[in-house]
Amino acid sequence: MSHLRLLSSPTPQLTRDEECLDAFQKELDYVYRSLRRLGTPPSEVDDLAQEVFLALRHNWATYDRERPLRPYLFGICFRMSAASQRKRRREVSYAVMEVDEPGPGPDETLLAKQLRAHVLNALEQLPLKRRAVLVMHDIDDVAVRDIAAALSIPLFTVYSRLRKGRRELEAALRRIPAPASRTTPATSGGHA
Amino acid sequence: MSEDFPALSPEVRALLDRERTSPPLSPAVRARALAAARAAMAAGGGAAAPRAPAAWTRWAVAAGLTGVAAVAAATVAYRHQHASAPALPAAPAGTALATEPGPPPAPAPLAVPSLPQAASPAAPLPRLADDGPRRGKVTREELRLLSQARAAVAREDFAGALSPLAEHAREFPNGRLTEEREALHVKALVGLGRGDEARRAATSFAARFPRSVLLPAVRGMSARSE
Repeated sequence: MSHLRLLSSPTPQLTRDEECLDAFQKELDYVYRSLRRLGTPPSEVDDLAQEVFLALRHNWATYDRERPLRPYLFGICFRMSAASQRKRRREVSYAVMEVDEPGPGPDETLLAKQLRAHVLNALEQLPLKRRAVLVMHDIDDVAVRDIAAALSIPLFTVYSRLRKGRRELEAALRRIPAPASRTTPATSGGHA
Repeated sequence: MSEDFPALSPEVRALLDRERTSPPLSPAVRARALAAARAAMAAGGGAAAPRAPAAWTRWAVAAGLTGVAAVAAATVAYRHQHASAPALPAAPAGTALATEPGPPPAPAPLAVPSLPQAASPAAPLPRLADDGPRRGKVTREELRLLSQARAAVAREDFAGALSPLAEHAREFPNGRLTEEREALHVKALVGLGRGDEARRAATSFAARFPRSVLLPAVRGMSARSE
């Protein structure tokens, strides 16, 4: 018996691929959320998430484990979204005909879903580069230097994109009609 | 950190905070994504193969292929228009044009392997060849059908997607959006749980579009159906 215990006791050594898949699995929600925030239509998120995984897997050997994974993943999501957006623009604007995501799930009330759609619609109005910086900084709480590293841009550019992005987001949220029942305390500040 | 920037108003701050706590993925989506990732890993051979650069170049390749396909279609249309007036001896074997009595031979480079589509009886030759000047209209019609199918798939009405896909296959067997149509077809079949058909359609897709940017996704979908 003790022999059997010895055989089964060593902690399983993950291969590099398994380790990568494990990391991807842990951050799957984040990847999907980030792709949506970067403007990927619901019907394309699945496919693009797979592209993100393939890119992550390719770079896994050289990825510095000391660095936080989320900004790194976001950088991949950003590049994939940019490429996909260019492709959509080249072909035809599918986005115009894209339907919204199916109705609210059990964990999400209708109002919460509407408010989320409101934010996503407003984000959609920002150019992708500024949107990416704003999402990282103001939603994901990523430090400016990590944003600069993840998106391969200078610090000054991060600051400048964030400044413009915030102004644009405020304007977009004022411009886009908000969900009808915006009566929650958090959002009753008068933005139309 | 944020003191350097115009501060967000409390309302916007609240909205962004709410967005931060968006709900988790449904177990079905999560399972699908991980199954596709595992399938891609299994299909990718050795660890960290040179895949990622391909992810970038695939988009470029797709754009190039689209251009080449457009040029090929235009050439076919041009040849058709200029070659159909003089007497052509015999009708082509296989499919026949519905409108013209003596159509020219079918263009070999655009021959399609038979696809496991839903009803596709006596598929006509590409409509593109008929109406060179009206190509824009044709493209719009192709788009309309595929957009219907995409919308149906997006709302998970997979059965509803089959009809516009079949119509597109009938009307535009070699249309400019054939690749997208076939990929959507696989997705719809997977969604309907018709695993065998999905796998056959995926195999057909891989044979027909071996360098497609959509191929990894199609393979992933088909693997999910197993």
